[in-house]
Amino acid sequence: KIPPGLFGCFLLCLTLAGIQALTPAHHLCLADVARLQNFLSQQFTDLESAYYSVVGLTKLGAAVSDHNQVCQFLKSQLDPTSVDSVFFAAETSQAISGCEIPVSNETRDILLAAVSEDSTMTQIHHAVSALSSLGLPVASQEVVGALTARINKEDNVMAITSALQTAARLSQQAELGGILEEIEDLTARLDDLGGIYLQFEEGLEATAMFLTAAYSLSDHVDMEPPLKEDQVIQLVNSIFSKKSWDSLSEAFSVASAAAALSNNRFHVPVIVSAQGPATVETVSVFDSQLLVTDVMSQPLASANVLVESAYAVASKSIILSQASFTLNDGVFELNFMSNQPASGYYQFTIAVTGDSRLVANHVELKVKVSTEVAVTNMDLSVVDKDQSIGTKTTRVDYPSKAKSSFTADSHQNFAMSFQLVDVNTGVELTPHQTFVRLHNQKTGQEVVFVAEPDSKNLYKFELDTAERKSEFDSISGTYSLYLIVGDATLENPILWNVADVVLKFMDEEAPATIQPKTLYVPKPEIQHLFREPEKKPPTVVSNTFTALVLSPFLLLLILWFKLGANISNFSFSPSTILFHVGHAAMLGLMYVYWTHLNMFQTLKYLAIIGGVTFLAGNRMLAQKAVKRIAAEQSSRLAKYRSLR
Amino acid sequence: MSNSVISVISRFLEEYTSTTPNKLKVVDAYLLYILLTGALQFLYCLLVGTFPFNSFLSGFISCVGSFILAVCLRIQINPQNKGDFLSISPERAFADFLFAHTVLHLVVMNFIG
Repeated sequence: KIPPGLFGCFLLCLTLAGIQALTPAHHLCLADVARLQNFLSQQFTDLESAYYSVVGLTKLGAAVSDHNQVCQFLKSQLDPTSVDSVFFAAETSQAISGCEIPVSNETRDILLAAVSEDSTMTQIHHAVSALSSLGLPVASQEVVGALTARINKEDNVMAITSALQTAARLSQQAELGGILEEIEDLTARLDDLGGIYLQFEEGLEATAMFLTAAYSLSDHVDMEPPLKEDQVIQLVNSIFSKKSWDSLSEAFSVASAAAALSNNRFHVPVIVSAQGPATVETVSVFDSQLLVTDVMSQPLASANVLVESAYAVASKSIILSQASFTLNDGVFELNFMSNQPASGYYQFTIAVTGDSRLVANHVELKVKVSTEVAVTNMDLSVVDKDQSIGTKTTRVDYPSKAKSSFTADSHQNFAMSFQLVDVNTGVELTPHQTFVRLHNQKTGQEVVFVAEPDSKNLYKFELDTAERKSEFDSISGTYSLYLIVGDATLENPILWNVADVVLKFMDEEAPATIQPKTLYVPKPEIQHLFREPEKKPPTVVSNTFTALVLSPFLLLLILWFKLGANISNFSFSPSTILFHVGHAAMLGLMYVYWTHLNMFQTLKYLAIIGGVTFLAGNRMLAQKAVKRIAAEQSSRLAKYRSLR
Repeated sequence: MSNSVISVISRFLEEYTSTTPNKLKVVDAYLLYILLTGALQFLYCLLVGTFPFNSFLSGFISCVGSFILAVCLRIQINPQNKGDFLSISPERAFADFLFAHTVLHLVVMNFIG
């Protein structure tokens, strides 16, 4: 047995990658099934909810508690004159053991009478199902006639689904061909959403009930339903994508569809998922663990799971083919790590066989194998450019730091070489990220270089101090040398302070002026610039025009004086005074608005002043009008008299 | 030619002074005042520039608005138009005139900046 310590930690991830073939994106995981059961187990209040709850739980394979109590409930709630009531009671009683619903002749007659062209499709479905559940004879051919007539009248998805369900209860000898064709017609009405979902616009319930009805009728007549494999997967996606259900009937429809998809004669979608924790600690246990289940997360124990091929994504080389998984306690396992694959990504093509009904049984898996890296042969040296002095190399071991620091001036190169190896296999690695970082201890400035491997996967890094001085802003000083190694497939990314290096740049003509680049200081605040006011005209001009603009007012006064505006008519009644004062106040307010107030304050004051002024003005003008009319009348009277 | 023009004008003035009621003359004087004020503002704008443009606009709008309102007042209180404005007494017309002025100058003041 291989000691785990030698191999260290291998990390393996499985991810489902549905790139090539369409695979189900949604199913009911165990938690979902439990939630659905929980949702269906709610206390029922009437026969309909009892039907959804009990039959739905039965479809999920869950136990219904206390059959006797349910039976009592059914008998107490049964209304023998209602077709719906009898249907729900009869169907529910079928799902539990030892419960017989008593039927009178009268009830039987009502049920039989409901099977006619004049009843609705739901009534026919309920009546036929009730009759068949109660073990009473049904005239199948008559029912087919009634259904065909109703399909022409009620051309909607729910009605035709009911017709399919009804047909599944009829004798196989009846002519069901016409109704069977409706499956294909309805399939054509499904809406495709982005190639992933297929559903009726009537909603989840319609889609799920259609699927249930289609498989139950197809099973009944033993004819494969006209659904393509991709369509089945798309239907699975749309039915199981919703994880919270609005109503009992919707939950019931999902449970029915799950039951139909896990147990029918034609199509059983396969769900392949990675098992448990994706990290596996030691190689001896490993491994690709797969759960192969139906849509209700029930393991398909009879299936054979086979790796058709597995290749490394980077090199395209095939590392496995035709290897089969072994079934171990409901989980399929493959000891993949015994092949000692190199770290990286692998593409698995997995086939699930063993049953002709399986759908979506070819799955692509992406597997990640990660490893640990070690830095070896780390040699540091300072080389003279003219090579006259032999180089002296210093070896440093990870993770310690070189004891003495290195000094390189502008005539010398600083050189570094190392190798990266896989701790587990000893193979050289070339991770995605290999950087050399030089960090100035005083100024905090850092310069990062990329270390490149040569053809023998030996990393070499040379720093020409004369050539690279611009990148260091010609700042001499002590730099800490770091090595950074990272990759998605590495478990132990490395940040190693290898040594201190003193770099001396030749021309430090103006080191003071070169400030270290500080990228993260606040930028100067941006001030809003108002538009520059234009040059004002000379004061004389403005004053002249002010006087000019005011001058017509003088003219007005003169004109009015000449015309003899009669101020004598001014009466000193309170309303008159108030009116004029109010007017003056309004003018004043306008000025204050200009200088101090905002519109809302102004409007408030204006309302007060305006109101007073209005009342006063109204009164004043009314008085004037009265006076004027009186004067007019008296003058008219005088005229009249003088005429006489 | 010029003679006839002068005669027409003098005739017009004569008729105006003799037949127009004094009330209307007062309003006409007011109209003239506003007309001149507006014209002077416009002259300033042409000669010096529009610089505080909103101030110019509000002053000018004030003149135009006042002129229009005064003309309306004049039409309404003209005894010759009495038949058209049976329901509007001169006092009512004056009150309307004042109210419209208040609203107009609220706008003007808002615009003056």
